[in-house]
Amino acid sequence: MEQLAHILPQSLLDGLILGFVYAMVALGYTMVYGVLELINFAHSEIFMVGAFAGTETMLYMQSRGYMGALPAPVALIIALIAGILVSGTLGMLIERIAYRPIRYAPRLVPFISAIGVSFFLQDFVRLVEGLWKNTFYLTAPSLFTAIITVSPELKIPVKSLIVILAAVIMMLALNLFVTRSKWGKAIRAVAQDKDTAALMSINVNSVIALTFFIGAGMGGAAGTLFAVQYSLINPYVGYLLGIKAFTAAVLGGIGNIPGAMVGGLLLGILESTGIVLISFITHGAIGIEYKDVFAFAILIIILIFKPGGILGEEVREKV
Amino acid sequence: MAQKGWLFLTDKTRTSQVLAWAFIIVAGVLFYLAPSSAITFLMFLASLLVLYKVPAPVTVKLPVAVVWLCVIMPLAGLQNSYYLDVVTQAGIYVALALGLNIVVGFAGLLDLGYVAFYASGAYLYAIFATTQAGNFIHAPWAHFPVSGMWFWPFLIFAAFLAALLGVLLGFPVLRLRGDYLAIVTLGFGEIIQIVLNNLDKPINITNGPQGLTPIQPPALFGYSMSHPLDFYFIVLVIIVLAITVARRLEASRIGRAWAAMREDELAARSMGVPLVKMKLMAFAIGASFAGMMGVIFAAKQTFVDPSSFSFMESIGILAMIILGGIGNVAGAVVGAVSVVVLQLQILKQLSDYLSYLATQGILNIPSQADPSEYQRMIFGLILILMCIFRSQGILPARRRLASWWERIRSEQTKKQAGESVDAAGS
Amino acid sequence: MLLEANGVTKRFGGLMAIDRFDFNMEAGQIASIIGPNGAGKTTFFNMISGYYHADQGTIRFNGKNLTRMSPEQVAGCGISRTFQNIRLFPGLMAIENVLVGMHLHLAASLGQIVLNTGGMRREEQRAYEEAFELLRYTGLEEKGQDLAKNLSYGNQRRLELARALAVKPKLLLLDEPTAGMNPKETEEMTRFIRRLRDERNITILLIEHDMKVVMGISERITVLNYGVKIAEGTPKEIRSHSEVIAAYLGEEAV
Repeated sequence: MEQLAHILPQSLLDGLILGFVYAMVALGYTMVYGVLELINFAHSEIFMVGAFAGTETMLYMQSRGYMGALPAPVALIIALIAGILVSGTLGMLIERIAYRPIRYAPRLVPFISAIGVSFFLQDFVRLVEGLWKNTFYLTAPSLFTAIITVSPELKIPVKSLIVILAAVIMMLALNLFVTRSKWGKAIRAVAQDKDTAALMSINVNSVIALTFFIGAGMGGAAGTLFAVQYSLINPYVGYLLGIKAFTAAVLGGIGNIPGAMVGGLLLGILESTGIVLISFITHGAIGIEYKDVFAFAILIIILIFKPGGILGEEVREKV
Repeated sequence: MAQKGWLFLTDKTRTSQVLAWAFIIVAGVLFYLAPSSAITFLMFLASLLVLYKVPAPVTVKLPVAVVWLCVIMPLAGLQNSYYLDVVTQAGIYVALALGLNIVVGFAGLLDLGYVAFYASGAYLYAIFATTQAGNFIHAPWAHFPVSGMWFWPFLIFAAFLAALLGVLLGFPVLRLRGDYLAIVTLGFGEIIQIVLNNLDKPINITNGPQGLTPIQPPALFGYSMSHPLDFYFIVLVIIVLAITVARRLEASRIGRAWAAMREDELAARSMGVPLVKMKLMAFAIGASFAGMMGVIFAAKQTFVDPSSFSFMESIGILAMIILGGIGNVAGAVVGAVSVVVLQLQILKQLSDYLSYLATQGILNIPSQADPSEYQRMIFGLILILMCIFRSQGILPARRRLASWWERIRSEQTKKQAGESVDAAGS
Repeated sequence: MLLEANGVTKRFGGLMAIDRFDFNMEAGQIASIIGPNGAGKTTFFNMISGYYHADQGTIRFNGKNLTRMSPEQVAGCGISRTFQNIRLFPGLMAIENVLVGMHLHLAASLGQIVLNTGGMRREEQRAYEEAFELLRYTGLEEKGQDLAKNLSYGNQRRLELARALAVKPKLLLLDEPTAGMNPKETEEMTRFIRRLRDERNITILLIEHDMKVVMGISERITVLNYGVKIAEGTPKEIRSHSEVIAAYLGEEAV
């Protein structure tokens, strides 16, 4: 029991950080689903591209000596902007090329197309990085190296706090945008009823493109933060995380923006502490290597028993 | 039906038919004479497709197909074992694609965890056909590995085990909508791989990432079948069976029920179609195909490990049926052969050619850009392009009328005419 | 009493769609349910069909309690229907649409299908013959191999009927069967509905807006307004019922 008390605080913190990353990525899934009823399978790779964009930016700054000259928060902001812009643009591009032409096709067709985009991007980034940098495993330069030692069991790296802070700021900004601004209202209108929104002279295509930009941008920012937090990235880092972030979005209620945030945090903490608890209870028979199974199990259970999620609503088919 | 052929070769005009048959015969002969050329190989494969599409009675086409597949291919294969292996590999995937086609194409259920059933069959056989089973079954009468004669019953066991798994997996997820179903099945697929990797403690069942080897080859009354040609014929027989089963299902009340479910679930239910039962059946039947092929895969490779059963495999098989034509039995065949040939043949050729250029100093592509490494990009591109430009696939699914439809129609119409004449007369 | 609904209530969120609705039908009757749009008529049908379950009250059919049944089970009891907005299987041929309706009456097992047994082949052939008969009965004998989506509107309505008949129902629910039809087609449909009851002994319950059809064919009419039954009786009684007139034409018209 004491052993548990030792590990738990740290895993709680880890879960929290992970949760914020999940939350930001989940926002992308939930926003796109809200306007198109499409699970953007490629969002995980948009996240990954953002990670690469941010990392490459930081590496570039490092090679030019800017890293030492600039204060770390500024460097972070620059990297974040790079991540957001690259991913956001990529998101819009994907929508334009791979989703818009088949928007009204039977439901599974855009979904399969999204799977195709996801796979394509994984290898595409690998190819590009392979040709350019001769490797596709990148290490982001460390930005914040200080560590706050609360106790022997709980060491909080400053970078984790910065990551959390950045995530919170961005999510609040998004929430404000969606609830207060004119464009935000347009997005919510399109999410409710595309055709009627069009009748109200809302340019649906533009709104959808904007939604993709914002959602993807969030994913890209999450990617950059991920790189800052965990340092090592590769083209396949998005896949698993993406599915978990999607789980988070569903957990909170797909299409529901605050839900994505709640779901993300909840999933991160559950995943991190849950597996520790289970491992403890089963004396290691089900150990930490089953972490992903645990996350998938949560996904499956939610989709089967409460597909509406925590904050979501039931939607009935009109007969 | 008179229609402009897909490629001029399928037109009903005289010239087209002559050209088509000329192509078929030339391709067959050329491949027999020059079995090591990539071009003749591809032509040979194409000739089979043309043979399928050419308008001629089955009694003519069937013997040709038999000769092509049971004489020319094996003889060519004896001289060039690489192509034999490609074709056998393609064959395994053909059966897998046919199975997934039943789940996705017939019943409209997007199962992204299909590879789990494949793995179950492979591991089932592998555990008993190596010494592995001895790790946890301690009985005096049990000798592991079991003899190769057990391969055949294990085909059946694996089919049933996979079907059972299909029902277990299907039952909780049935009510889910298309894309959610896909994600959940994806989750299951991932879970299976993790479980396979970690089931080496506390009891060692799967031997974890190290895998299981050596696996007993199949045997028939003392004759051990480890020659590539043996596997070729085993796979060929299974494919013929799979195609037969798939076509019979399609034309039956079950196939119609699936089609109805796909088109309008609510209306189907209102007409009495038992949704749950039909979906479970699709899952189970599709899974059984995969389970069976798992056994064959294990026996052929003599080695299984969890890495062969990744999500990539499921996506690859999905790409095959999307490419070939979703819901179309022949489409599944075409798609599977195309993708396997693309990977093993064309990409490899490209990769060899590029390294040849590199050694000649003409072009220097770093090893990073070796085409044969970029499966995901290829699959991804196939999926995207097909979805945008031709989502129905190379061979779109078509509804077929029962062979006796014309007879019934004319009989009934005559009967009706006869009745009205009687009525008028009396 | 073939169909008995007692105190059926259904709420959607805050909206009361049907409020303590009682309804009876004898076997062999032709009855209609009418009312302004949104009155709850289709909701009631959907509850019989098993899409929605009543919040309160029961629906009994031939003594069996339908209230919690699934659509397949309802069909199995001998109830089939057509839809307000035609719901055929568009990618299937006309004959296949009808064959799907026969699903409950086909018994070939998986094994028989896979082995292509003589028994299964015979059953299929009989099924095709019966399906063709139904197509002929609804005037679609030339259209058997056409895809449902390619049929004209009128033919699609006929096909939906043929399919519903394939279920061999004791009770047939028709949801606005003459919607979108011209007077001649409406006349044909009315006669056809009567034939169904007379020749095939099917009890028929209609939702209709065309008053000519309703008055001409119904033995009993039930009027719903805002989920509440406001009148019930013969066409003559309903025609002059003040509340009904008020519901349709507004209070001032009375």
